[in-house]
Amino acid sequence: MINHDKRVLAVGVFAAGLISSVSFASATEYPLSIENCGTVLQFDAAPDRVVSLGQSTTEILYSLGLADKVKGTGVWFGPVMDEFKDVNASVPRLADNDPGFETVVGQKPQLVATQYQWHVGPKGTVGTTEQFNELSIPVYTAPADCVGKDNAGGGDGVRHEGFTMDLIYREISDLAQIFDVEDRGDALIASLKERQESSLERVTASGHDNVSAVFWFSSPEINSDPYVAGKNGAAGYIAGKLGVRNIIDSNEEWPTVGWETIARANPDIIVIGKMGRRRFPADDWQVKMDFLKTDPVASQMKAVRNGNIVVMDAQSMDPTIRLINGIETLAEAVERLSASN
Amino acid sequence: MFETTPVQQPVQPPRQSLAGRAYLVRAGVSLGAVVLLVGVIALAAAKGETHIPLGTVFQTIANHLWQAGYDVDPIDAGIIWNYRISRAMVAAACGASLALSGAVLQALLRNSLADPYLLGISAGASTGAVSVAILGFGAGMVSLSLGAFVGALVAFGFVALLAIPAGRGAGAIILAGVAGSQLFNALTSFIVTKAATADEARGVMFWLLGNLSGVRWPDVNLALPVAVIGLLVCLWYSRALDAFTFGVESAASLGVPVRRVYVVLIAIAASMTAVMVSIVGAIGFVGLVIPHAARFFVGTRHGFLLPASALIGAVFLVAADIVSRIILDGQVLPIGVITALIGAPAFAIILCHGRVLR
Repeated sequence: MINHDKRVLAVGVFAAGLISSVSFASATEYPLSIENCGTVLQFDAAPDRVVSLGQSTTEILYSLGLADKVKGTGVWFGPVMDEFKDVNASVPRLADNDPGFETVVGQKPQLVATQYQWHVGPKGTVGTTEQFNELSIPVYTAPADCVGKDNAGGGDGVRHEGFTMDLIYREISDLAQIFDVEDRGDALIASLKERQESSLERVTASGHDNVSAVFWFSSPEINSDPYVAGKNGAAGYIAGKLGVRNIIDSNEEWPTVGWETIARANPDIIVIGKMGRRRFPADDWQVKMDFLKTDPVASQMKAVRNGNIVVMDAQSMDPTIRLINGIETLAEAVERLSASN
Repeated sequence: MFETTPVQQPVQPPRQSLAGRAYLVRAGVSLGAVVLLVGVIALAAAKGETHIPLGTVFQTIANHLWQAGYDVDPIDAGIIWNYRISRAMVAAACGASLALSGAVLQALLRNSLADPYLLGISAGASTGAVSVAILGFGAGMVSLSLGAFVGALVAFGFVALLAIPAGRGAGAIILAGVAGSQLFNALTSFIVTKAATADEARGVMFWLLGNLSGVRWPDVNLALPVAVIGLLVCLWYSRALDAFTFGVESAASLGVPVRRVYVVLIAIAASMTAVMVSIVGAIGFVGLVIPHAARFFVGTRHGFLLPASALIGAVFLVAADIVSRIILDGQVLPIGVITALIGAPAFAIILCHGRVLR
């Protein structure tokens, strides 16, 4: 909290200084140098063409009113936010998942923004950062995927430091600065923070006491060990922010943990992921719900018997701009739980 | 007919004076193995990811077997009965089936390197599972298990079709199996490379390495009858298998219906393996090594070798599953890793002491 407050304060002081020293509010001065995931990106002017890989990054760009600069998107996890349906329809979708390197380069981007190093990074599946840099295309990586996170082992990576929403705010303010729309960035961050604060107030007001939860994303087979949220990821942050205890104590983003362990931890709330993906039967939230109600052990858990199962958009459990929705959803659930006690 | 080198030589029949004692030893070993199996299943019920007191374990078992009516926490009781015991039963059935299939194939094909996956079954199962999980066959309605089962049968069908024009002999079957396995492994790699993200590949590969975590009673109801029927059918043909040890021609001259024995036993071995792979993934090592270990204990007569292989396989896999659950805190290792880790050194010891084999 102290760090968080200091940073807010620092941003405030910085913004105040900027406003007083420059007559018009928060215009970016070029050439601009931005520190990003261990490298420094240089911009002589705001880019006109950006390819965005990763739904959250794309939605942040849309939220900043930059849709006209987005010349291609990829790495989608589900339908775009409702308010951007029309905007998104006019932007070329290069691929639902990973577009090829040449497809990206073919859009002549002046910037590639990526949500995950998995796609563009040291060993990116779309291309390596180096490959893009050789063509003088800078790569901006979402801070949520590199700050305090080790992606060397592949997969979802391991987070050594807890995720915080500040990483999303930083992505917003970085992109706002790069595209010279800092006022929009500040406004977006302020509105997200306000939503988070009001959720927090509601939970505090409900007087809840030591509520515990588990976040179930999916399972490779419906009966097998499920993928659940580790302590340091976005879901862990949601829980921590609201004073809810995540029963899973693992550094991995989405470790598999046996039902035996989950059932004996017996959390008050079970959050189940809702997603468009249909790779495994358990991707469907209704399949998860049926399992909880029919499995001889899971059905005995207090969250199931008391009906405290919460359906949550899976992207809200990941480090995305939608995480705020997740905070609101869990806050409501805690409120309901406290009211019923 | 293409002949592979028969490493497994027919063993001299025991001298008459020793026969009685050998019989007693074998009976003793079998009885010991049955006791061991019950014991290891009980141990599997008591050990798991979380600690449940031994008393609770016995009370739960008593409640289910004799309606003892002890007051046990429903979650603890559910974990012991529905998760751990069902899991141990499936592990036992699976270990028995794989070892049995291995023993049968080694005799039939006269090749001590034969194992249940020789017939392309694990390769086909992985292609099936990957098609479901990564290509999305069945649009989320078909489980990995069903995909794996269908894949295994398709691959086995392919191998069988290839073996018939290739000469139908042991060599032809082995080569067809190698070709089929390579083909289906290549298909799997192709699908994974083309369409999978790291996550997907990791999820499927983890499952394929052998994973008992999703096992429940319905799986027991499938696996146990398959193992028992498989054992009975194989035992029915145990004399024929003894004859095969001396070669196909000798077997034929002894009046063994060679063609029928081949078809029935290979089909039985393939279906047992396909069912087990579809439930738990392709657990390696058991089918190859357990029959050799069993031969070390009870000799090469199939009347003893088959039940001994089944029992040792069952005990071994239940034990390996226990180890896989407790070796890393809060994390379950793929059981295939454990079978190889324990199995390889254990087998090395048997090999070194097993001059008997030669």
